[in-house]
Amino acid sequence: MFGRRRDRDRRSAQHIAQHAAADPRERAQVYSKRGRRLPGEQAVPSYTPSIAARSIDGHLLRTGQEVYAWYRLAPQRWSFRSDSQRQDLIAAIAGQYAELQGRWMHLRVTTRPYPIRMWAEAHVHNAVKRLPDTPGTLSFDDYMVGEQQQLMGRSMAEKEVYLGVQVQTRNMMDRAVERAAPVLRRVFPDAVDAELVALDSEVEHLDQVIGSAGLEGRPATAEEMSWLMHRSCSLGLPAPRNLPAVPGAAWEPEDLASFTDAADFHQEPYSPTVVVRGRTGSNAGIKRHVCVLTVGLMHGLQIPEVDDPWVQRSDRLPASVEWSARIYVRKPEEVSGELSRQMSKVRSQVRHYTDEHELDPPQSLARQAGRVLEIDDEMTSGFTALGTRVRSWWRLAVSGPTEREALRLAQSLLELYKPKIAIEHPEAQYAIAREFIPGEPLSNGAYLRRGSVLWAASAVPTATAEVGDRRGILLGETVTATRRPVAWDPWMAQELRDASGLTAMVAGLGAGKSFLGGGMVYKTLRSGAHWTLLDPSGPLSALCDLPELRPYARPINLLNAQPGILNPYRVVAEPMIEHFLDEEDPERAWRREKALAAATRRRLVLDVLTGLLPFEVARLPQTRIVLLRAVRTVGGRFDAHPGLVFEALRRDASEHHEHAVVVADFLDEMRERMSLLIPEQDADPYNEQRDDRLTVLTMAGLNLPKDGVGREHWTDAEALGVEMLNLAAWLTQRSIYDRPKDLRKGVWIDEAFFLSEVPTGRVLMNRFARDSRKWNVRVLLSSQIPADFLKIQGFVALLDSVFVGRLDDDQAQADALRLLKVPVGAGYEQVIASLGRRPGGERTATERDRAPRQFIFGDGAGGVERIRIDFSGPHLEHLRNALDTTPDAKRDNGSGELVKTGDDHAAPQPPAYVPDEIDDELAADMELGLTEDEAHLVGHGDGTNRHRDGAA
Amino acid sequence: MRVRTDDEVYRVDAVWLGPPKATFPWRARYVAWGVGIVVFLVVLTIERQMGVGFGFFSTAWALVATIILTRFITQRISHERPLTAVMSMWVRELTAPRERTASTGGAASAARIRVNPQRPRPKLSKKQRARQQAQPRRTSASRKKEVRGVRTPARP
Repeated sequence: MFGRRRDRDRRSAQHIAQHAAADPRERAQVYSKRGRRLPGEQAVPSYTPSIAARSIDGHLLRTGQEVYAWYRLAPQRWSFRSDSQRQDLIAAIAGQYAELQGRWMHLRVTTRPYPIRMWAEAHVHNAVKRLPDTPGTLSFDDYMVGEQQQLMGRSMAEKEVYLGVQVQTRNMMDRAVERAAPVLRRVFPDAVDAELVALDSEVEHLDQVIGSAGLEGRPATAEEMSWLMHRSCSLGLPAPRNLPAVPGAAWEPEDLASFTDAADFHQEPYSPTVVVRGRTGSNAGIKRHVCVLTVGLMHGLQIPEVDDPWVQRSDRLPASVEWSARIYVRKPEEVSGELSRQMSKVRSQVRHYTDEHELDPPQSLARQAGRVLEIDDEMTSGFTALGTRVRSWWRLAVSGPTEREALRLAQSLLELYKPKIAIEHPEAQYAIAREFIPGEPLSNGAYLRRGSVLWAASAVPTATAEVGDRRGILLGETVTATRRPVAWDPWMAQELRDASGLTAMVAGLGAGKSFLGGGMVYKTLRSGAHWTLLDPSGPLSALCDLPELRPYARPINLLNAQPGILNPYRVVAEPMIEHFLDEEDPERAWRREKALAAATRRRLVLDVLTGLLPFEVARLPQTRIVLLRAVRTVGGRFDAHPGLVFEALRRDASEHHEHAVVVADFLDEMRERMSLLIPEQDADPYNEQRDDRLTVLTMAGLNLPKDGVGREHWTDAEALGVEMLNLAAWLTQRSIYDRPKDLRKGVWIDEAFFLSEVPTGRVLMNRFARDSRKWNVRVLLSSQIPADFLKIQGFVALLDSVFVGRLDDDQAQADALRLLKVPVGAGYEQVIASLGRRPGGERTATERDRAPRQFIFGDGAGGVERIRIDFSGPHLEHLRNALDTTPDAKRDNGSGELVKTGDDHAAPQPPAYVPDEIDDELAADMELGLTEDEAHLVGHGDGTNRHRDGAA
Repeated sequence: MRVRTDDEVYRVDAVWLGPPKATFPWRARYVAWGVGIVVFLVVLTIERQMGVGFGFFSTAWALVATIILTRFITQRISHERPLTAVMSMWVRELTAPRERTASTGGAASAARIRVNPQRPRPKLSKKQRARQQAQPRRTSASRKKEVRGVRTPARP
């Protein structure tokens, strides 16, 4: 690479005939016959790498003079953390730096590119059993092309931060031993490794210091070392498409040629950039102009309150920026000597001005004297070593195909850091570019930055703004520190992370909930998922009209459906023994599950019927007693229906007989409106079985109570509406059991507020949480009020991912932050309020605001970021039009009257009925809290059950 | 939390205003005085080498040249870029590898290898030469047939 192979012609005996030494034994033999070469054998010129590095053993890199240990630092979340958390992080990093007193550090920030092309590859690979193309519509390939065109040239590059720490300097003996290693290995093998063995405890200490919270570094692997060396030796070139295989053994000096030969650097004197020319592999013949900049003077920064960490700031640039910082952590005694020297310099200057020349000294001298005292105070006060001082040099490199392009990027970096940090463009570009290579010495001392470890730590190069994954559907892009595409695979959590599949989506009116959810459903359908949507207001059924989805989609208006479709006994799926074959004792597990299903049905019937009764009647204890008894009599078979409960009520022979008849009368009165719950004779809506990829259940015209109206003020129609919605949610949930376990399934329940209104809401939630992972389901629950979710006990713990859109209410904003697990009261409420806020000038515009909406996305894997939903590609035009409805317009226009028609849309068929197993019944009852009620009735029972609130 | 560098402390502009009570009309840093002295010596040396004799005017001109050169040099150095760093950057600019326009290597060429169609053979004696000349004449007719046992087609 860098031109010179210094001792090409020095033919020392040690380097002779290495090419013949495929076998170490053979090599040993050759060495033993030094000077007596084989006939025809030529001397091989020895090779000395043109860089300072000489060998790499594990994470230890040895140069001629020093040994460095390299670590890969863990990325740290920065956005949506409280300032105190951020300060703690900075202080922790500063503490780690302070422990490295007297050592040099080399910080390298590089990127591992992940072009959109690779995302497409991963996405197609991940799209198993994808939707067959319908002729004449947007095909999957066209869709993928469109997706890539939309994000043309964007990259999901991942920032990687490495830290090299000087372990110790090498002495002459170490170097001599290394030189003589081939011979010495035969004579005295221990001596060769003695250097590194002696470092063992030192390295362990460093591992421990760097590995603790803050930097969270772990020793770099061979693959990572190789990557770092490649990126540094081919600075600014595109990432190599295929790296040479990583050797199992240590890299010898000759092996380093694989890094150095990949590119060479050259420059004209005083040219503003250095040219890097690729020579091998995928970069052969590619030229890049690299502009190396350095950090100049810096104002005081308010980190974390006002300013970003200053290294992370460069992430805002659309191109990747490489960083190389040399940091020397100084020993306190060294610094104090220097400070006193500076102090005396200041004093003598002041004297020179005032005493010798009778002039006023410049103001700066007084300021400098004050600052010296401040630093001295910082260093001596307190027990923490946060006052430790560092000397550092921070270099940045940007590259472009032409000099102009590179300089343009450099200019935008300068602009980015203005006005608080000056970025300088020094000469000697080649020499400074070499500093990026691990092991190279500092090229010169210009642009030295001095500061405390706290200042160095506040650079936080590891801070990232990553969210989502790299194989899922494209949602949009982040809009905070960086602009990077956000992809999310809704099934990754269940398939790889063993997490639940619950997602909450909270946003106010018109904040883009339906748009986001609809887009998600559309895109995942294309890549092979099956979805069941419960959309009470109905605009999502427009998805079924999209030409490419139409053959595989079915909209069902539940209010027009066949009688009995919402039969509470049928909406709970009957477990099938095939699904338990992977259990330890399939038979037992299946029975247990069946008992649980039966108990769930009874619980559901009880809740629904209680909910339908007038509030005053439902509140009476005897109502609950008679209902419970009747439901118990009917049992939990799947072919039962609420009509049987009414009959059982009338047959009640207990002391509450009269009350039972009253309750039955009340219910009978409503029977007409409950037709969806009670099937007609010989008509089972569950007979038909269809394999649709998208089922949209709508209940357009359902009368639902308004927000914030208490249960006691609901009208009959509203109470019925809520109960029907609850049953519809159960029906939606049931759909997941009709499909194979491993198939990717999705369930989206819009207006999910009712889950907190009905007691069975939590039972449903528990089922979702439990089965979403086992059955590979993504459950999307959307609501306008986050408190609806928080009211459900334990919901936040079960949540996997969260989308929060614009909310205007203060309380709602705080609740949304709680869902996101983001600190409340740290100023993020304003962020939620400002998500997708429309500019004030457009208030009078008659046209709908179609600007992309913003959400805060918590991906469940630790990332929380503000993202902009972007389905703006021309290939998604029809989707946008389909979803461009005002979803809330129809909510309160419903008549509340249920229309009974003979429309025969129906849900898939249930499994064959097998009588309940009595053994498991009690356990199942206990799980659902049914026993508690009964225990209360009959006067005994255990109190270990989970608490349920019986206020229905 | 406010974080800032310590750089200010190290940016003390150490100036020498002149001997006590005799303030010069200009302010120059100590480093400028140092550079000035060295440059002055160098300029004087160059003058001597060029054969300019020592005198009032030559020294005055040397002084003027020194002031110009010193200003030129000190404009390029600052606290950020000390003299040593500027010097080392200058050296590194000069020693950085240049783009090699002259081709070394490149496509392998065999142009300079002498190629003979035939290898040199030992010279034959007269007797052998005569036999060799006779032999092809005798075999040439019989060898026209490429395959034995197949009739030669009649010529048209």
